[in-house]
Amino acid sequence: MSDETLELGQRTLEERSRALFRESVENVDMRVRSRLTQARHAALFAADRSSRRSWFMRVPVWGSAAGVSAAAVLGVALWFGGPLAQHGAAPAAESAFEDLDIVASSDEGSGGDAMEMLQDDIDFYAWADKAANAEPSA
Amino acid sequence: MSRFDTLPAACMVWDGPAPAPGGVVLEQTRELDKFLAEIERRAFRMAQVALRDPDDALDVVQDAMLKLARNYAARPSAEWRPLFYRILENGIRDLQRRRTVRKRFMTWLPGPKEDPDNEAQDPLDTVADTAAAVPEQLMQDQAIAKLESSLRELPARQREAFTLRNFEGLDVAETAAAMGCSEGSVKTHYSRAVHTLREQLGEVW
Repeated sequence: MSDETLELGQRTLEERSRALFRESVENVDMRVRSRLTQARHAALFAADRSSRRSWFMRVPVWGSAAGVSAAAVLGVALWFGGPLAQHGAAPAAESAFEDLDIVASSDEGSGGDAMEMLQDDIDFYAWADKAANAEPSA
Repeated sequence: MSRFDTLPAACMVWDGPAPAPGGVVLEQTRELDKFLAEIERRAFRMAQVALRDPDDALDVVQDAMLKLARNYAARPSAEWRPLFYRILENGIRDLQRRRTVRKRFMTWLPGPKEDPDNEAQDPLDTVADTAAAVPEQLMQDQAIAKLESSLRELPARQREAFTLRNFEGLDVAETAAAMGCSEGSVKTHYSRAVHTLREQLGEVW
């Protein structure tokens, strides 16, 4: 069989089968057509909902990213300049002021004792200095 | 490299670009409606040829529509057709696989065995059709029935290649994208399908 005959046979088969198929498509009954229409509408509804959801689905992503960033900024701010940082630095400053108050408040009952203690310390440091600079005796 | 080489697999979910403005979405929905309306009956018939059962064919087409609309509506409309048929053919294959498993399982169960002859006989084929009163129509129906049974006997890939190329009019690249294979494979499957169909239908046609 020649190539031309083969080609003609193939073309005939393609055209005939295509025509039959198209005719069968035209003859699809009304029940099926109705169900296909319903399926199409359901698909379009799903597409619409999906596009809306894809927009809203991104909101939590952006929201969570923004939330994490805000929390980080707030954390840094609180750490360095917020009430926590002040609270953390307070003991040293307060103790220094308290010490000074105690030392300076000579009018109060405990202030006199403190001044005496400070005076004792000065006497002690003077004696220690003299002892350290003294020539060894032997 | 064909223009469809970048198509994602049908099982993948399209993440999609940033949401389009409302007008664009509406236009896209209209376009998708038009596309599905144009394709739905042919898709149904192709599924019916493969599955025989019209309800199964409707289910598979409906599922393909939903998946396309949900996951690929934002893709360029030129890609919809191969994507749709890829989803459809996957659905047909899944259903056929499930049927095979169910049939194997049923053979283990006690009870009346299914008669393969009866199973192959579609009850709809036995229903008298009033339209068949005209001899020409009768001949047409017989020719269609013969074509369908011949297509059903083809290996799945050959049937897919033949129906997509010849009935749906996809070109080789689109068919390859829909079947998830190379263009060379499409040509081979198509050629074998035509050869087999000519052998089977030659005497009738």
